[in-house]
This record gives sequence, structure tokens and C-alpha cells, in this order.
Amino acid sequence: MKQASFHLAAVVFSAVAWTGFALPEARADETCNSPYTSRLIKGQEHYLHVWTLGVKGVGDGADKLVTIDSDPASKTYGKVVHSVSVGGRGEAHHMGFTDDRKHLWAGRLDDNKIFVFDVGTNPARPKLIRTIADFASKSGFVGPHTFYALPGRMLIQGLSNTKDHGGVTGMALYNNQGQFIQKYDMPKGVAAIGGGDGYGYDIGINPQKNAMLTSSFAGWTNYMMDLGTLVKDANAMKNFGATMAMWDLKAMKPTQVFDVPGAPLEIRWSLKEGDNWAITATALTSKLWLVKQDAAGAWQAKDVATIGDPAKIPLPVDISITADGKGLWVNTFMDGKTRYFDLSDPQAPKQTYEKVTGKQVNMVSQSWDGKRVYITSSLLANWDKKGADDEQFLRAFRWDGKELTPAFEVDFYKLKLGRAHHMKFSAKASATALLDTGPLKLAAASR
Amino acid sequence: LRAGAAAAAARRGAAGLALAALGRGASLAARSAGAIALGAGVFTFAGALALGAGSAWAAQLEPGKGLVKPPRQDFVAPPAGSYTLPVIQQAADGWVFDGNWRPRRLSTYTHGALTLLSFIYTYCTDPIGCPLAYRTFVDLRERVLADPLLRGRVRFVSLSFDPSHDTPQAMRDYGGQFASSNELPWAFLTTYSVRFLKPIVEGFGQDVDIELDAQGRPTRTLTHMLKLFLIDERGQVREIYSVAFLHLDAMLNDLRTLALESPPPSLARRAPP
Repeated sequence: MKQASFHLAAVVFSAVAWTGFALPEARADETCNSPYTSRLIKGQEHYLHVWTLGVKGVGDGADKLVTIDSDPASKTYGKVVHSVSVGGRGEAHHMGFTDDRKHLWAGRLDDNKIFVFDVGTNPARPKLIRTIADFASKSGFVGPHTFYALPGRMLIQGLSNTKDHGGVTGMALYNNQGQFIQKYDMPKGVAAIGGGDGYGYDIGINPQKNAMLTSSFAGWTNYMMDLGTLVKDANAMKNFGATMAMWDLKAMKPTQVFDVPGAPLEIRWSLKEGDNWAITATALTSKLWLVKQDAAGAWQAKDVATIGDPAKIPLPVDISITADGKGLWVNTFMDGKTRYFDLSDPQAPKQTYEKVTGKQVNMVSQSWDGKRVYITSSLLANWDKKGADDEQFLRAFRWDGKELTPAFEVDFYKLKLGRAHHMKFSAKASATALLDTGPLKLAAASR
Repeated sequence: LRAGAAAAAARRGAAGLALAALGRGASLAARSAGAIALGAGVFTFAGALALGAGSAWAAQLEPGKGLVKPPRQDFVAPPAGSYTLPVIQQAADGWVFDGNWRPRRLSTYTHGALTLLSFIYTYCTDPIGCPLAYRTFVDLRERVLADPLLRGRVRFVSLSFDPSHDTPQAMRDYGGQFASSNELPWAFLTTYSVRFLKPIVEGFGQDVDIELDAQGRPTRTLTHMLKLFLIDERGQVREIYSVAFLHLDAMLNDLRTLALESPPPSLARRAPP
């Protein structure tokens, strides 16, 4: 199934002789922050942390975490207020908060390093406190992609493996102190549950259902290859994921595999009370897929909508669901469009808005109230567009339900920062103090 | 999870006067009644439980009922023993006080039995904070005592975040009848000071901050994320439950899964009083 679906994709890719085009990627917004464990920001986000790919000859050339002031009441609103380089370039990609939102884990897909930043002490000035370098050696996986918080630990989805750098991979579990706990292989050829291609990409958890859903993308060989070369390589184009898997979260065992052709990427569960569905977008086939329980309680996956004209490969790369589960932002990399789908009936999403927000757009994140939407530009270092189309930015918009209105923009090339990729929100720490700075300390001092 | 609504209310005038009257020396019943009289949802959870039958508040707080709602569980928990629980970390250790002011190592409460431990503070009234931890323990207690595999092998520990207010006596009052019950050991512990508490909190990876007022001054409201730590007989943390994961069926099967790993030790010999 996987190979068949990519035959079509390969043809289309070949037809589009793009120099700097790309495949999927993405994730980030308040509604995707493991909402079952984190303290979500339901008011004004004060800072945006952007995991940024270093570019040779641009600034210090190193990957870095860039912090932008997003508080309209601040004097530095819309400005970069802090940047911390981690050294080298290793294909900086995605990030995830720990369950208590004190730390931000950021991964690199090439050298497999994971950087842990303290964002709880002073979110205006994140501090690198730990580098985890044993992801590949301990798990056998390559490309730490999704960082999904569980209580006291971090579940990390790999994209590849150390043996052949293909797409067969798995998940690694670490505790919050950065120690490896265990690994879990993605299902592959398990007939009893519907097969599986062994590929991985994103993780989405619904504790109420004891359900964990995973998606699938491609291995190191593909995501590190120049895109122009990749799309001309028929064999390489067969090596993309075409499945999603449902897991028993408590047992950490896959229970069902769904055929979802075209590289299903970001997974978003509806956060509305009582809802029993998740949605994803397929990069190569440009579809929205719904995974929902039927009347008998069985999980079913269904193609429910088309994004743009699949023949033109709009390449949906990130989605952001509203807090009430009624709407979905979709970014399509190739045409630089940000689309909005009405999800009132998740079985039949309808596009109600679109706007070109950049020459290349990747991540889209919205605030909890849905009034602010943020967009970044970079997909992968070797897949981003070339020349004048290689814009690198973070753009902030206001959304009134009808129109996206620019709020501010940060030009990452002009500021010599690099390629803007994944973003996360944080709020000022001024409302709280550490345990040993309050009255308890004063009381203790009298003893 | 925001905790400490009572303390916040206490700073707001009349309610504060009433709550302030609930000093350490006040009787448990008086403290509870006073807290309930504050209205606006402010109450002393453990105290209300201890009021006994006949009280409308107590009735609402009885296991299986009430204001404090556990998360919805829309699944059948996988059978005990059909899965494994990996070792997440070693349980932290340090000096604590039991209810009789006796200093003990926390490790004596995290070894030799299947232990569920949670950090709390007695005046926390956040419905999805400490009261929910208490409610979960109470509900689980009934199930454990009714389970032949688990009865005699399980211990609960409630350890205070606030050594300045939660003295051993206060913790004993908070525990009420459960603090002295021999059916299922439930230790209500505190520490001498923050200096002793902090390494334990950090060792477990339990976050806690002190809320500041509008002038940036620290208040007595503690913010923390509710976590229950499941610890095996060797002192290893095998599962951590935050609010969304407080599913009683699954928690009971987790306990049973650990119980099936080894033959039952003599809890009576090894567990602290």
C-alpha cells in the first residue's frame, strides 16, 4: 500500500520540476501541546520560541533557539529578545515541553542530538541545561522528531534507524531527567492488526480513550537528500509512510494499523469534551483524514477532504486545530498558502478561507483563543526553496474569523539567525517564584 | 494546576478573617466548618470528609460522589499482567517527619510495599489539585482492601509541600481516620523545612512554585501539577499519574501488575507504622 501510493506521488513530484520544494513537516501550537499534561496558555502568549536551523555564512552559522516577544503590551513586542546557539548544524527540527512546561526539548534530525532548555525559570531567556546524545545508541533509532510529554517523561518519535537510515523506526521513552527508559518499535507487517510499514512521524494521545495514534513519514536517506534529487529518484520516492497506527497507550502496544496513503503527518485530537476523533493531513496526496470511533466503538480512518488541487502538489505540511475542534488551519508549503477549514462536521470539512502568507510556509500555530496565528517558513534545510523564494521568517497575524491581518514579522535572514522552523509559546514567569524564594523559606529560616 | 484557592480567598478580606481563625490549634471539626462557611467553594477537603455522615458537604465528598471529579475513562483497562511498567526513576529519599514528630527516612515509606505517593498541602482546595489526590486515594483504598491480591501489599503516602504550615500534627489531622487505620497504611508526612523538602521534590521531578501577588510579593498559594507516583517494592517509580490519567481501573491494574511481578512480602513486618 505504501509503495503504491508513492508511485503516484513520485509521478507528480517529477512533473513539478522544483528546485527548492519540499515535503511535509511541521507541528506546533498551543492546542497540540500534550494538553493532558501541560498547563496550557489560554490567555496571551508572551514569548515565541523558534527552533532555528543554522545556515553557513549567516550569523554564527549554528542552530539556535530564538525567543521573540509576542506580548502586544511589551515595549519589545515583535522583536527578538534572546537567542541561544547550541553549536553546529544538525537539522534542527521539532520541540516539545515537558509535562510541567518547565523545560523544552528540541531535537536535530541529522546528528540526533536533543537539547533541553530551561524555559520555566525565565522564559524570556531560555537556558540550555542538558544535551542528550544517546538517542541513536540507546534506541537504534535516528531522527528524534516529535517530543510528546507524558507524566514525568518524554516520548520521542524517531523517523529512521541506525542500520539502513530508511524509514523503519520507533519511539524512545526518556524520563524528565534525560535518562533513556525504553524503546518501542513501530508496527511492521503485523498481519493480526493490519500490517504496518514500520514508519513513524507524529504522536497524538487521548488519555480518556487510552489511545495513542501515530503517523508515518520517511527515513534519514530521504529527508536529508536534496529535494530536487529526491523527486527524480523513483526508488527513493517509494520510501514514504502510508499508514497510521492506533496503540493501547497503557500497554504501549499497537492494536490497529490504518492504510493512509501519502505520508500522514501531524495528528490533532479534538479537545472538545466528548469528541472521539483525531485529524491529520497527508503531504503527498493532499488529503485530510479523520480517525474516529464508529457506533460500535471501533476506530476507523477515512479520507474526508481534499486540500487544494492535489495534482499541483500544494504539499500540506502543518495543521493547527482550534480549541473547540471546530476549525483547522492548514499550511501548504509549495503555494505558500494558509487555509482554514470548517470542522463543524469533521466527517466533511469545508475550506472557508485561504491566503498566501509567504513564498514558502511550513509551521502554523494558533493561540488558544484562536485570535492569533503564527507562521514560519522552513521545512528542511535541503528541501527549502532556493534563491529569492527562500524567505525565512516568523509572521504573526490577527484572526477575526474572516481575515488574517499582519501583526508583526521577524526576518530571520535579515537578522542573521537562520531558517525558522518549529515554534512554541510561553508565558512570563513573574507570576510565580521558586519554592525557596517565598515565605516557606522565610518560615524555614526561623527554625 | 493552580492550587491554593483558599489561601487566595483568605487574602481577600472577610473570608480571610474566617480562614485565619482556623489556626493550627483549632479542632478539625471547627476548621472544616469554618472553611465551609466561607462559601465560594472554599472548604477543607479532608476535614469535610471527616465530618461524617449526615453532612451534605461530607456526602458530596464521599468516594464515588461529589465535587471532586476524577477524569472520564472511556476504555477498558488492559488486564493486569498483560503489560509491563518500565522503571522510570528511583524514588527520591530524604528526612521526613511522621505524624508523631519522629524523623524518618522517606525510603522507609517507599520500599517493601507497593506505594502510591503524592505531594499535597492541607489548605489546597483546587478541585483538580490535592483534593483530587485525596479522593483518588480514598476510592482506591476501598478497591485495594477488597482485592485479595493487593490487600496487605499497598501503602499510600501524602507528603506536604508546606513544612511551615503543615506540621506533623496538621498532617495527622488532615489524614483523620485514615492516618491511624491499620487496614491500609497511609502515611501523612511533612518535613522540617524547605531545605529538607526541596531535594525530595526535585528528586521526584515534582514542580511547585509560589504564586506572587500584584506587587510581586510571594503569597502562600502554591502552584503545582498534581502527580501520583506508583513505586514498586524496590523503591522504583513505575508509573506517574497526572490528572488526565487518574483512571481508577487502570491504576488498580497497575498495582496488580506490579503485585504479580513478585511474591507477596510481609508488609506487616516491613512497612512503617
